[in-house]
Amino acid sequence: TILCLPRSLEYSQKNAILIPAATLGVGGMLVYWLRSRHTVKTIEMGDGWWGSGERPLKGKEDESIRPFKIETSDKEIEDLHRRLDQARFAPPLEGAAFHYGFNSIYLQKVVAYWRNQFDWRKQVEVLNKYPHFKTTIEGIDIHFIHVKPSYVPHGRAVQPLLMVHGWPGSFYEFYKIIPLLTEPAGHGLNEGDVVFEVICPSIPGYGFSEAPCQKGFDSIATARIFHKLMNRLGFKEYYLQGGDWGSRIITNMAQMLPQSVKGLHLNLVFVTTQGLRRMISVMLGAYVPWLVGLTKEDVKRTYPFIQKNIYTLLQESGYLHIQATKPDTAGCGLNDSPVGLAAYILEKFSTWTDKSFRHRDDGGLESKYSLEELLTNVMIYWVTSSIVSSMRYYKENISKDPTLSLDARVGVHVPTGIAAFPQEIAHAPRVWAKNIYKNIITYSYMPSGGHFAAFEEPKLLAKDIMHFVRKVEQL
Amino acid sequence: SLAGIMLLEVFLVFFFFFFIIIFFPSKKKEETFFFFFLWWGKGRKPDTEDDFFFFFFKVETTEEELSDLFRRLDQARFTEPLENSCFHYGTNSVYLRKVVSYWKNQFNWKKQVEVLNKYPQFKTKIQGIDIHFVHVKPPRLPEGQSAKPLLMVHGWPGSFYEFYKIIPLLTDPASHGLSDEHIFEVICPSIPGYGFSEAPHKKDFNSVSAASIFYELMLRLGFNEFYAQGGDCGWLICTNLAQIAPNHVKGLHLNLALVMNMGFTHLLSILLGRYLPGLFGFQDEDVKRMFPFLEKGLYKILLESGYAHIQATKPDTVGCGLNDSPVGLAAYILEKFSTWTDLEFRNLEDGGLERKFNLDDLLTNIMIYWVSGCMVSSMRFYKENLQNGIGTQKHEKLTVQVPTGIASFPNEIMHTPQAWAQKKYTNIVSFHFMPRGGHFAALEEPELLAEDILQFVGKVEKEQLWRKK
Repeated sequence: TILCLPRSLEYSQKNAILIPAATLGVGGMLVYWLRSRHTVKTIEMGDGWWGSGERPLKGKEDESIRPFKIETSDKEIEDLHRRLDQARFAPPLEGAAFHYGFNSIYLQKVVAYWRNQFDWRKQVEVLNKYPHFKTTIEGIDIHFIHVKPSYVPHGRAVQPLLMVHGWPGSFYEFYKIIPLLTEPAGHGLNEGDVVFEVICPSIPGYGFSEAPCQKGFDSIATARIFHKLMNRLGFKEYYLQGGDWGSRIITNMAQMLPQSVKGLHLNLVFVTTQGLRRMISVMLGAYVPWLVGLTKEDVKRTYPFIQKNIYTLLQESGYLHIQATKPDTAGCGLNDSPVGLAAYILEKFSTWTDKSFRHRDDGGLESKYSLEELLTNVMIYWVTSSIVSSMRYYKENISKDPTLSLDARVGVHVPTGIAAFPQEIAHAPRVWAKNIYKNIITYSYMPSGGHFAAFEEPKLLAKDIMHFVRKVEQL
Repeated sequence: SLAGIMLLEVFLVFFFFFFIIIFFPSKKKEETFFFFFLWWGKGRKPDTEDDFFFFFFKVETTEEELSDLFRRLDQARFTEPLENSCFHYGTNSVYLRKVVSYWKNQFNWKKQVEVLNKYPQFKTKIQGIDIHFVHVKPPRLPEGQSAKPLLMVHGWPGSFYEFYKIIPLLTDPASHGLSDEHIFEVICPSIPGYGFSEAPHKKDFNSVSAASIFYELMLRLGFNEFYAQGGDCGWLICTNLAQIAPNHVKGLHLNLALVMNMGFTHLLSILLGRYLPGLFGFQDEDVKRMFPFLEKGLYKILLESGYAHIQATKPDTVGCGLNDSPVGLAAYILEKFSTWTDLEFRNLEDGGLERKFNLDDLLTNIMIYWVSGCMVSSMRFYKENLQNGIGTQKHEKLTVQVPTGIASFPNEIMHTPQAWAQKKYTNIVSFHFMPRGGHFAALEEPELLAEDILQFVGKVEKEQLWRKK
């Protein structure tokens, strides 16, 4: 409210020119009001330098895009095996299942598989099946994969799609969904008239993207870097998809350069605005949901509120709290112990896929994923030593008071599609998402799936993305 | 104004969350306060009772243990810190490298084992698990005086070793320039799940369970009446001990006393206490240490309680890597010794650690966690105590009538004014603002702490206060 007060109001202290001044003032207000109806407030792009030391004054940045291949060595594998062999485990409490965290009896089974059956060389070839590249932006090397459709039917436009991963994921999460988007017909998907070329970068500090050396690298800096990346690849307009941190980054991208974003598709919505109105909506929603805009499905997924939201959030946000305050401490041991790293990361793949997996002795991991693909993701963090820098992202983004952060006050006006998965950590009803996303084109209640949507339910997610993009193209 | 609205929102959320934390739906059936003699050992409780034997215990090490440690230190992988981050992101890995280098090349674990063994140590099985403790008797007693038994309980991430500097001041005060009016025999147990005490195998081992075990220990040692001293987890356990066995605890001395159930009056005193200190019973020093509250209270807690949050929810996950990487373990523990000794140390590249402690002592404490492999079980204690919320358990709502002495150190994580403490500790005999020192009082300022304990015991003994309960 206060932010909307027109600032072009002029005033003069001399009575003699009061009337013309007032006319000017009113006229100015009118012009401002008319203009503000059409221009949309955006986040400033700004600039940044993340390499070590000071930014070099002379010379332009090397803008070349260099092909990249993931490699491994005997030394790397032997070092890993040695650490796995010497791992020390603490026995779990009787009957603990996954309630105290990752059950160490099941962890020993995972480590045995990792040591004896997992073939990292083979997985490296799997990772290299899509073309990888690196390019230097703002002083750091940005890694990404770029997959074009091998066959484009006559007359079809290929939509560029940037897909951004989160924590503790990586570009690898998208390996199952990419073929569904670049070659839908070949996979039985009939949303037929949409074909994509997919770009999946690694967030700086994650995987094969270089970590920033300077403090302050947040989602806005990431958004800017990814815009520069797409620009460098020659794209003027593109679609964005993301969950977890990816959701926040692409939201910032849409707030920064809305004219470049054709559409925004999210499988997670950060509900950032807390506050009195929200609390009232929550309290009333239990009894008169229709009054506050909640649907039946919303009610089912949101209530009992304290149980499903606050209690669950407190239970599951310990990692967030420590990573947002002491990332270097939290990550130190994990960068030195692959077993510790696996326990930490895989616990999320268990609990965030289905909350009931906490009651199972094996955390339900192998009911939705294969150990091979789970460990490939863990290996990406291990071989790049990126766990600490990945955790720092939490500290840089979660300031003292999240509601004061810039992006919460700037709305998102680009066409938005939301896929709400039932086992997501917290459900965001459409009416709450509208606070930020002013232009929701599709909002789908997905039938199954959790936080790692692209990894767990690639077909469902791909269908929803295509459904959304088709609608946007028709607009 | 905008700032005003924002502040109001923050307070409303704060307020809302307090109510959530207080009225947390209890997941377990209501905890009965009077403890049962439970069984924490493996499998089912056998029909035979615990034997009451005490075994001599000596810390030992082997070449294999040392070479395994050195191998891990050699292969440690570090991540460069961000430029100019000091200790703001946690333990600075540049400084950590120096510590690891000292650990490999100069630290002598065999010598430290002998240091640990200079005090007699024992083990005895209570409620199914082996309890380790140090028992130090005074070297000499003046004519007609008897040694007063004093139970001292450590916390996390500390150990019985924290007391090695203060023990001589209490068992032999005369040789250290202190009055020998009261001489103690000191018992420092290891909390089950910490150091050389066996970890419980069953769920729900909380501070009341630990208190019942230590009560049993003191009875077994033949002490019908004793003093109890503690900080950190030790504060909680000793408080519970005073609640379950008030007729046996002559006096309770604490260097930490947190308020667990905040009520409306607390909130009011936070909002107005700066302007009307007298109304809420705040002294000048209280105001100095507590306000501005957002900065010194709320934000400080939020910034420093990440470890407690994750340990209270996923101890097995976070402890796993720390039990496998000594460097990770050191980083995790040393961060606390830095920040909880003085918050300003976060602005230093070396975390200020060697200003107050020496690396030998710090690494000895870490080695206790490493060689016993107890990091995970030590973290579980947080979950067992906090999983139902703060201020929801019965013992947190009950008061303490035993004569209490509180030593309030300036750099402690949270300051509790006497006005708040006396709501719980109804019989506060002494409350002193210490001139310096932080969380690890016994290790950092043993003389100050010993003096405060001695004057407190002096007061209790003089008035024979324990008889008046």
